[in-house]
Amino acid sequence: MKKFRSTGLWDDAFKRLKKDNIAMISLFIVIFFTFLAIYGELVYQYHEALDLTPNYQKTNLEIAYTSPNMNHLMGTDGLGRDVMGRLVQGVRIAYKVGIITSLIAIPIGVILGCLAGYYGGKIDDFIVWFYSTVASMPGLLFILAIAMIFKGQGLLGIYLGIGLTTWVGLCRLIRGEVLKHKELTYVQSAKVLGISSSKIMFKHILPNIFHIIIVTFTLRFPAAVGTEVIMSYLGIGVQNQPSWGLMIESARMRLWQGMWWEMTFVTIALFLLVLSFNLLGDSLRDALDPKLKD
Amino acid sequence: MVPTVLGVIFLTFILFNIVPNDLAAISLGKNVTPEMLERFDEVRGLNLPLFFGKKATTRSMNDQNFSKGMYDWRGDNISYNLNGNYISTNFKYNFNPLSFKLNESYAYEWTGIARGNGIIAGNEFNSETWNNFKIISSNKDSEVFFGNIDFKKIKIRKIINNPFNSQLFFYFRQLSNADFGYSESFKQPVTKLISDGIWPSLSLTIPIFFIGLFISIFLSLICALYRNKFIDRFFVILSVALMSINYVVYIVAGQYLLGFKMNIFPVWGYESLSYLFLPVLIGVISGLGSNIRFYRTIMLDEMYKDYVRTAYSKGASKFRVLFKHILKNASIPIITNVVIAIPFLYTGSLLLENFFGIPGLGYLGINAILSADIDVVRALVLIGSLLFVLSNLLTDICYALVDPRVRLR
Repeated sequence: MKKFRSTGLWDDAFKRLKKDNIAMISLFIVIFFTFLAIYGELVYQYHEALDLTPNYQKTNLEIAYTSPNMNHLMGTDGLGRDVMGRLVQGVRIAYKVGIITSLIAIPIGVILGCLAGYYGGKIDDFIVWFYSTVASMPGLLFILAIAMIFKGQGLLGIYLGIGLTTWVGLCRLIRGEVLKHKELTYVQSAKVLGISSSKIMFKHILPNIFHIIIVTFTLRFPAAVGTEVIMSYLGIGVQNQPSWGLMIESARMRLWQGMWWEMTFVTIALFLLVLSFNLLGDSLRDALDPKLKD
Repeated sequence: MVPTVLGVIFLTFILFNIVPNDLAAISLGKNVTPEMLERFDEVRGLNLPLFFGKKATTRSMNDQNFSKGMYDWRGDNISYNLNGNYISTNFKYNFNPLSFKLNESYAYEWTGIARGNGIIAGNEFNSETWNNFKIISSNKDSEVFFGNIDFKKIKIRKIINNPFNSQLFFYFRQLSNADFGYSESFKQPVTKLISDGIWPSLSLTIPIFFIGLFISIFLSLICALYRNKFIDRFFVILSVALMSINYVVYIVAGQYLLGFKMNIFPVWGYESLSYLFLPVLIGVISGLGSNIRFYRTIMLDEMYKDYVRTAYSKGASKFRVLFKHILKNASIPIITNVVIAIPFLYTGSLLLENFFGIPGLGYLGINAILSADIDVVRALVLIGSLLFVLSNLLTDICYALVDPRVRLR
C-alpha cells in the first residue's frame, strides 16, 4: 500500500522546480555565488578586524597588467592588484546591495500593500495615491538624485536610492492579492472569531501570499545589482571598494590597448549572476504560482 | 491626476528641501563664504521657513552657544570663562559679529542670555545678573556691539512679516512661472539648459524607441505564431539573456567592437547623423529583451481567442490573421506601452548620452548629479514625473479612441 501524504504548495513547487533543468542549473549558480559572497565577506571582515591590507587592495606596479597566469588566474589590473580577488569582493558588494535594498523595499511594499488591501477606504486611497506618485518619478534619475543627496556617506546613498524607489510593483501585487483573500472564507471566519486585524493580515493572509515576496526578491535582486553597477560606473556609488561597476570603469579604456582580462571576467561574472537569478525567478514564479505564467 | 501632480511636486520638495541638511553646502562644495551660501539660499528661497513661520535663520551669524567653548564667535578682546561656560567681551570700539551685511528689508530678532553693561545690537543693555534678552533691531543696528558684556548664548533670527512666505510657497510660485531656477555649475537658467538639451535627447530616443518597437512587435508575432517551437524557445531564452546583460556592458562592448575594432562608427561626439548610429543600435538591442517578452505575452493572450479561430476557419491566411486581426486587437496594450514610454523619451538615455558625448538631457542630468547641481536635477526629476502623469492621462484618452467599449466619463 502506498502511503498518502498531503503535499503543500512548497512541496509541489519544489517538485515542479526539480524537473526544470534550467532552474536547477540557475539555482546551482546562485548557490555558488552566495558562497563566494560569504567567503568574500569573511576575507573582508578578517582583514578589517586585524587592520591588514587585503591582497585585493595591495598595489604592486611591477606586476601591473599581467595577463592571466598561475599566480593570478585572472591577471592583474592597472595597479597590480589581483583581479580574481577583486572579483570575489565584487560579489560581496553585489550581494550586499541586493539584500539590503530588498530589506528596505520589501517591508515597505508588503506593509503598505497589506494595509491598503485590507482596510480599503481612505487608507487605500492614500496608499494608492502615494505609490502612484512614487511610480511617476523617472526611474534611474530619481535613484541617482537620492544618492546625490546622501553623497559622501558610502553605500548608504545606493541603498536608499534603490530601496526607496523599487517597492511599488510589490505593493501593487500584495494589495491585489490581499483584496482577493479578504473575501475568502478563512479570513471571514477569522474576523468572526474576533482576531485582531493586524494578526489576520500578517499571520493569516501573509503566509498565503508569501510566494509573491519570494519571487519578487529573486527578480529584484539582479535588477538592484545591475543598478549598483551602473551607479558605481558613473562614479556615484561605491568608492575605494572593488565594485564591479568600478572594475568595468577602470578596465574600459585599457580594453582598447588589449588588456582584455579584467573586463572579460567581470562582465562574465555579472552576466552569470544576473542571468541565473532572472531564470531562477521566472521558474520559481511558474512553479509557485502557475496562474502568473505568461 | 491632480492629486498625483501635487504629490509629485510635494515629493520633489521633500527630496530637495527637507531631507538634505544643507543644500547650499552640498551644491557649492568647500571653500565658500557665508555670504555665498546666503546668496544661494536667497535665489532659491531656502532662507525662508519650510512651510509656515515667522522666523528664519541667516548665514551671517551661526547660533552661538558657549557652554562647550568659544564656538565660532570671533573678535578682539574676548575671553572665555571655563567655569561659567560663558564669554566675556570688552569692546572698546564698535564690534560687528556678522560676517556680511544683512538684508535691509527685514527686521532681526536677537535673543540670548547675557549680563553686563553695554550695547547689544544697537540697544542698550544693563543687567548685573544673568538675564534673557530679546531685542528687535534693524539690519544697521545689528552691527553695533559695545561695552563689557558676558554672553552664555546668542543668536539672530530674521523676522518674516508674512508667515505664509515659506519655502513651499516660493517653490509653488516658481513653478507657476515655469521657472526652474538657476544652475550653479553651468551658470545658466535651468529652463534654457533643458530647452537646449531636449532636441539631442529626442534625436536619440525617438529612433531607438520606434525601431525597437517595430522589431520587437515583429519578433513577438513570430514567437506567438510558432509557440513552443524551436524559434519561440530561442527568442524567449535570447530575451532573458539580453535582459541580463548590463547596460554598461552593452555600451562598452559596442564602442569597443563596432567603434574601435571594426571602426564602422564614430565613438564620441554629436556632429552629424553618423554619430547617432551606434548609440541607436545599442539602445535598440538593449531594450529588445524586455520588449520581446512583453509583446509576446500580449500576442499569446490574443492568439487563443475565438475571433482568431473564426478568422482561420473562414480561410484567412496566417499572415492576414497575424497582422490584420491580432495586431489590431493587441493595439490597446501596445498603445499603453507606447504612451507610457513618452516621459522616458524626454529624459533621454542617461548612460548612452554620457558615453557618446551627446549633449542631451541625460548628459545634463549625469553632469548635474556629479556636480551636485540641485536645481537642474530637481527640474529634470519634476518634469519627467509630470510628463509621466500626463502620459497616463493620454493613455486613457487613447483607450477611448481605439476601443469603442471604453467611454470617458
